[in-house]
This record gives sequence, structure tokens and C-alpha cells, in this order.
Amino acid sequence: MKTAVVLLLALLAQAGGNVCLSTGMREMSAASQLGGPGIVSLLLRGLTNPTIWLGMGLLGVFFGLYAATLSWADLSVVLPATALGYVINVACGAYVLHEAVPPARWAGALLIGLGVCCVSWSERRTALPGKTPGDP
Amino acid sequence: MKTALLLALLILSDTLSDVSLAKGMKQIGALHTLHLRALLVLGSKMARNGAVLLGLLSMIAGFLTFLVVLSWADLSFIVPATSLHFVLATLGAKWILQEHISRVRWFGTILVGLGVALLSLP
Repeated sequence: MKTAVVLLLALLAQAGGNVCLSTGMREMSAASQLGGPGIVSLLLRGLTNPTIWLGMGLLGVFFGLYAATLSWADLSVVLPATALGYVINVACGAYVLHEAVPPARWAGALLIGLGVCCVSWSERRTALPGKTPGDP
Repeated sequence: MKTALLLALLILSDTLSDVSLAKGMKQIGALHTLHLRALLVLGSKMARNGAVLLGLLSMIAGFLTFLVVLSWADLSFIVPATSLHFVLATLGAKWILQEHISRVRWFGTILVGLGVALLSLP
């Protein structure tokens, strides 16, 4: 339960961070050429944008929570579970950024949900016989 | 081509970040409390752990790459397109971190990978 709650908070922070970054980058003009000066200029302009800073802060929160989860749970459990963040990202892309999301992507989101259920179930099966690595 | 190259860099950075961070956090030990003192001690240990620092540097490298790619590509395409790192990092968990990965867990991971690939379709 602890793993699920901390991961959910981490994923929400990550999704919020991604949306802020995407919004912030689009507030500036897109980098049409990728020469060295182009990248540096783009990153420097990004550092002056408050939306970008908010996005980076939220991703910092994600990092702390993700690292904490990895201190007690297996990477092979935590990593697939973070795929739920992709679902949140697609939903944010659709409803916040108003990007077009075709039905196939929603089908992918369903598969991800099923996969995470399988991984979560395998974790519970591992934890039941003796020690409880996922939920101390 | 430009997008493909940066995506490859993003995937490798993410994989290295996940495996290194997990290795470092296991070396440090499980966090059992949210008391400020314990969190400060944990932060101090993380700042001195090579694997955690490598994971953090990889995450920053991936983040900067992500930031640049986002300026011309859709968020709902770029994020799912990095799905390959799920497979690579799970293999890393098995071979480097010596985790036991059951058939059900592999099945779930493959479903997740397929789902993310489906999400990536234009």
C-alpha cells in the first residue's frame, strides 16, 4: 500500500512537471535548427521561464519519491508501475494541452493498466510466503 | 533523423538512470520513516553514493534531451516513444541487480511495453 501511494504521488508530480515543461517550451519559439548555439540558446531561454521552473520543481519531487520507493521495492516492480504515468501524460495531452489522441492510444492505456495489474499481482505473490519487500 | 537520434539518447539515459538509482538506493537501505532527521540522513547518504549520483546525472542528461525534443514534437508522442527503456531496464534489473522476475511479472512488463508501443502510434 505504501508503495502504491508514494508511486501515485510521484506519477502525479511527474505528469504535472511534463505538462509545465511542454507548455513552457511552447511559450518560447520552437527551436527550428539544432546547431550547438541553438541548443544552448534554447536552454538558456528556458531557464528564464517560470513555467519551466515549476516543471523542474515537480520533476524534482518525482525524483525524491521515486528514489524513496526504489529503496524498498524491486526496480522490476516499480518501473512497470510508473507506466501509469504514460496514461496520465496522454490524458493531460488530450485534456490540458488539447492534443489529438486517437482511440489506439486509449487502447494502449488499457493494456498498460492490465500489465501493471499483472506486475502488482506478481509482487503480492512474492511477498505473501514470508517477508514483505513491497510493503514493510 | 534528428528526432530518432535524440530519442535513442533519451532511452539510454533513462535506462542507466533507473538501474543506477535502484542499485544506489538498495546500497543505502530502505526508508521506513518520514521524520525530517531521517530524510536529511537519507539525502546525505544519497549525495555521497556513486550509483545514485550516476543515476541522477543520467536523469539530468535525459531531462535535457527531453526538454529539447519537446520543443518541436508532441508530448503525447515523445513520452510513449521512450518505451524501450522498460525492456532494457527490466533486463538490467535481472542481470545487474539480480532481481527474481517471475513469468507473471515478465508478462505484465510485456503488456506494459505493448501498451506503451500502442500509445506511440500516430
